[in-house]
Amino acid sequence: MYRRALTALQRFTLRLDVAINRVYPTDLNPLYYTGGLTNLFLFILVLSGIFIFFYYVPSLFEGHASIVYLTEQVPYGGLIRGIHRYSADAFIIAALLHLLRNWFTDRYLFSRDSPWISGMFMLLLGGFIGATGYILVWDDRALAILGSFDDLLRSIPLVGRAFADLLVGGEGLGEATLPRILLLHVGPASALYVLLWWHYVRLRHPKIWPPATWVLVSLGVVTLLAAVIPAVSGTPAAPGTSPSAIALDVFFLLPFWLAGFLPPLVVVLSLAGLFAVGFVIPYVNRESDAAMGVRHAGVAQVIDGNCTGCELCYYDCPYNAIVMVPSPYPGLSRAAASRKLLAVVVDSRCVECGICIGACPFEALELPGVLESEITRRAVEAVSIAGPVRA
Amino acid sequence: MTTAGATPQGTWAPRVVGLVCDWAVATNTIADGDGRLRRHPSVVLIRVPCSGFIRPSWLEDTLKAGADGVFVVGCPYGDCLNREGNYLMRERMDQLQRRLQRRKVDPARLAMLAHGLHDETAFMADVGTFLDRLRQLGPAAAPRPAAPARTAASPPSGGPAAAPAVPAEDGGA
Repeated sequence: MYRRALTALQRFTLRLDVAINRVYPTDLNPLYYTGGLTNLFLFILVLSGIFIFFYYVPSLFEGHASIVYLTEQVPYGGLIRGIHRYSADAFIIAALLHLLRNWFTDRYLFSRDSPWISGMFMLLLGGFIGATGYILVWDDRALAILGSFDDLLRSIPLVGRAFADLLVGGEGLGEATLPRILLLHVGPASALYVLLWWHYVRLRHPKIWPPATWVLVSLGVVTLLAAVIPAVSGTPAAPGTSPSAIALDVFFLLPFWLAGFLPPLVVVLSLAGLFAVGFVIPYVNRESDAAMGVRHAGVAQVIDGNCTGCELCYYDCPYNAIVMVPSPYPGLSRAAASRKLLAVVVDSRCVECGICIGACPFEALELPGVLESEITRRAVEAVSIAGPVRA
Repeated sequence: MTTAGATPQGTWAPRVVGLVCDWAVATNTIADGDGRLRRHPSVVLIRVPCSGFIRPSWLEDTLKAGADGVFVVGCPYGDCLNREGNYLMRERMDQLQRRLQRRKVDPARLAMLAHGLHDETAFMADVGTFLDRLRQLGPAAAPRPAAPARTAASPPSGGPAAAPAVPAEDGGA
């Protein structure tokens, strides 16, 4: 069931690629750069966030006014606020596309679980940062979100109360609340960059930026949106009043919308369940080893005697799975006799792609499942048996 | 050298080996179990884990063993499952083609294709184009005697006796 659904989704993803590649050159297909786009929007968020940070006053009485001042009095303040708002939405959209694409196209298998797991943490933090960002505005919507968030946390047995107090900064609203929320907005945003290090650590040349065209288009789209549909605050938050109808941002505020008609504990549990499933995905074996065929060819092995320490495999491995160590003894072949370095494959990073084999001119690497001798034998056999065929 | 369009053999089918990335185009509907294309039985496909897995010397050896052409199929550029395999292979292929040109082998006998999992139609069209190109080039030259020992049982029967080596200087810059 899961397998068939994923196969269908993979088919759909690749069909979509073919359609997009008809419009754009393949090097510009935006779906090939979902990760880079996410990173780009994060960068826009950080820059615009620093600008907003200079004007924001985290206080119950001045918080709302400071944002209104930024929007209406500061040159380009409203525009930058809008850019911050819309690139946050774009960030989540790009991150979700990145997740779905890599899931549907099998890019989480073998040792590629570490980008997947770190990505799950980043998604969780991203949603949290978005929610706290909406609270910082301190209008009637902010108050409703904070109240809902408080309810959600308090519904967790045993520790819920402590969490809620951590979020609000003590028992109930107070002067500590907005500084606390600001910390919870900026702190996790910085933590995203630590997690990004984990996300990239096994990648040799991560594609962290989209092509220049898409950088400009993305910047243009968020700027245009910010100019055409400005981000505005509601009425100032007045604790004790119940807000009227509030437009909820589906990308960040879905849990709070659900909390409107579901018991808080159910919402918390379903969120937790969703993320638990997310953490399990890379460990569910979609296909049997046999069905994986040559794809599951085993971790690359260095043929010690042939390795000359030339570092070609080290430079080409896309997963940093090859490290060069000082050679403890000379190699056996003539080219390897005076080597200074020896290539070593880090098993836990190898995704069994065999790119190091193509990189090695000295026949010093092999995939156990697909031996070089087997490939060359079949190639020569194909040529010699075929003969000149009459079509 | 044969003139463009008309080969002496008419229906001569070039012997071609294709190395296909297992994540790229699916061939179970277009090829037999042993990898022979149904529509072009002189083309044999060998599946590999990634196009970057292919060592360029294998392609050279296959040509030396008597193949009229060799091609590699990777995923669409930008969408390699292993991130960079097809770009790396394209670079290695360019280097190999320059090397072959110096050895008087026409680089047009090598091709790098890129097709996704469900692009069988586009893939077959590209194979057809490649075969047409090979028909224009004519059969590969008979292996030169000075070359190291090889395993081909017999020299290609269609080898043009008048032109011992295919001139490569016009094969592209």
